Amino acid sequence: MIAGVAVLCVLSLAAPPSAAQAPAYRAPRTANGKPELSGIWQALNNADWDLEGQAAAAGPVPSLGAVFAKPRGLGVVEGDEIPYLPAMAAKKKENQANWVKLDPEVKCYLPGVPRATYLPYPFQIVQSQNTILISYEYAGAVRIINMGAPTKAPADSWMGWSNGHWEGETLVVDVTSQIEDTWFDRSGNFHSDALHVVERYTPRSADTLNYEATIEDPKIFSRPWKISMPLYRRVEKNARLLEYKCPEFAEELLYGPLRKKPSN
Amino acid sequence: MKTKLFVLIGLLLAAAPAFAHHGFAGEFDVTRPLKLKGTVVKWEATNPHSWIHMDVKGDDGKVVTWRIEGGSPNNLYRLGFTKDSLPPGSEIVVDGYQAKDLSAHAVGKSVTFSDGRKLFLGLQALKNDPETKK
Amino acid sequence: MIRRSLASTTTLAAMIAVLLIARAPAAGQAQSPATKAAPAKAAPAGGKSWTPPRTPDGKPDLQGVWTNNTVTPLERPKELAGKEFYTEAELQALAKQERERLAQVEKEGQPPANHSGVEGAPAEDVHYDFSQFGLDRGQAKLAWNRRTSIIVGPQGTVPPLTPDARKRLAEIRAKAKGHEFDGPENLSLGARCLARPNVGPPLLPAAYNSNLQIVQGAGYVAIETEMIHDVRIIPTDGRPHIPESLHQWYGDSVGHWEDNTLVIDTTNFTELSPFRGAQNLHVIERLTRADEDTILYQFTVEDPGMWTKPWSGELPITKIDGQLYEYACHEANYALANTLRGARVAEEQAAKKSAK
Repeated sequence: MIAGVAVLCVLSLAAPPSAAQAPAYRAPRTANGKPELSGIWQALNNADWDLEGQAAAAGPVPSLGAVFAKPRGLGVVEGDEIPYLPAMAAKKKENQANWVKLDPEVKCYLPGVPRATYLPYPFQIVQSQNTILISYEYAGAVRIINMGAPTKAPADSWMGWSNGHWEGETLVVDVTSQIEDTWFDRSGNFHSDALHVVERYTPRSADTLNYEATIEDPKIFSRPWKISMPLYRRVEKNARLLEYKCPEFAEELLYGPLRKKPSN
Repeated sequence: MKTKLFVLIGLLLAAAPAFAHHGFAGEFDVTRPLKLKGTVVKWEATNPHSWIHMDVKGDDGKVVTWRIEGGSPNNLYRLGFTKDSLPPGSEIVVDGYQAKDLSAHAVGKSVTFSDGRKLFLGLQALKNDPETKK
Repeated sequence: MIRRSLASTTTLAAMIAVLLIARAPAAGQAQSPATKAAPAKAAPAGGKSWTPPRTPDGKPDLQGVWTNNTVTPLERPKELAGKEFYTEAELQALAKQERERLAQVEKEGQPPANHSGVEGAPAEDVHYDFSQFGLDRGQAKLAWNRRTSIIVGPQGTVPPLTPDARKRLAEIRAKAKGHEFDGPENLSLGARCLARPNVGPPLLPAAYNSNLQIVQGAGYVAIETEMIHDVRIIPTDGRPHIPESLHQWYGDSVGHWEDNTLVIDTTNFTELSPFRGAQNLHVIERLTRADEDTILYQFTVEDPGMWTKPWSGELPITKIDGQLYEYACHEANYALANTLRGARVAEEQAAKKSAK
């Protein structure tokens, strides 16, 4: 008996549980027998600042002081570094240096996938048999994941085209046809229109999911790379998404100079 | 009574809610009609309006790229069109009105190919031609 | 032919609010004591009993991709007062005339309308042709029905405004006059890509892309409208509304099931959306699957500070093939910048002229 337990312990230490292996947790089922992912979720990390992690630093607006400075953050990239092609690494640096002007999040543009997942706002999964809808509080972004036979997009879009299927406990979503104008974070990490993302959502406990995304873009990166992070359920009573239709808050930035000047 | 009803039906049908969600006549100048002939550089199939970028050779021989405002592409997708349905190099004619800011952009009241076929639904005939079916 | 156009920078809803008159019995019952309307049960199509499909967790299935595209106006024209329904023959005639209208439009282009962004301005041609882009309502599936107006009842029009509301709206209009293009906040919510009247609630047809998708998950019903990719997620767990102090463009919705009907109660709107000037708006919606291809959509709108009585409407929502396509709006909203820039240039030119 003790030997058996010891063997179990050794096995556990040797092979840390990951989403790819049979997880210890089995989620409650939907009425049609699939893992139930419905609910309101949110990432709790600094991924939206910088996928690769960052040092603490002053923010871009001195008058906001510590309210909007850059927190120190651990990265979420497997292997720590995003493998840019040599020619593309310079573009990333240029993006980063000019991020306030160039980051689409500043203008409240739709975030694309996977950035929508780890923005500092909650999102809600509404899971049905043939369709999974994910509504993001940020900018009213939304995606429909087709759970039937995969279909093709007639056009590119900001949030991409999502086809999903189940692999055991994991929801696997294949995302294609994203336009090139989104970024991965506020540090200038970017992609082309050849972006291909495969997400994996795996319940790891009653109130957490494991989220992984494999990112592939042969025009920008030398190989596919992967990010992973937990997602936390918003458990407060009557939790709900509220409107954050932030185009309104970008209007002064975008249109202020075109405003009529007050007559003297 | 019947004639009156039919006239009414006509009225109802004619009053199609042309939902101008912003002031088009604030953006474009009804006193500046124009006719442009040129070649497509690209079709920006965006919302709320799509934009056809076209190269137009002026009388001075200089080529200016005009941006022509059009409609949402969403129902075109439903009708079987894609973002590649207006290939660069296509020769088109635009009847429209210039922008009030006097820049090289206009609203395309009517856009046709040089052979007179209308954009986009004029392409439908071509799409149904067995020769062009993939 | 008189073409009444619903254009301009004021929202479609604001135009309705200004133009409207009398009301009709409420078509829905709210849980809240504010409404004393009697419930109207949706009759199954054809009078036969029909069992609606159910989701795996036993709820009526409203899911799918739908359209509420219609020829039916919100309000009944004066000449049809008292006539709530067309006969079958009249409906056929209507359908024929609609086909003929579309054929004419496809040949000759869209007729002029008020595209100025200024209420009451004359009709003009300054617009891209809808039919060239498949955006004429006749080029998409229409949800036909025999009603002469969306608003139900003998009169089929919106009730009179209260004197207070009349005064309030007049003040708003007076302030806005001459300032239509001063800055982004002077343009309509739709022009700013912030909110659109077709989302409501109530859900009303848009001039084009009038499509929606319904997805039902455990304890929630999600309704996504194609424009502007807005999602209303309605909890059906009996929770209360958000605090009164919070206002949202689309309000706050809570729902519950009554037999085969989803009843949605919405409050906490802003004063701009969906009806400009309404300060205490309350909307009740009822969605009932009437047959394989149809949802019967009923709604009641009330605001005692705005209209003298509640008013109700009804229209079918019909199934369409395919899916919703992304309508990213703000991201490529060049028109907003162009409109403001055009106004500044026009002002400069006017100033130069008068300086001469």
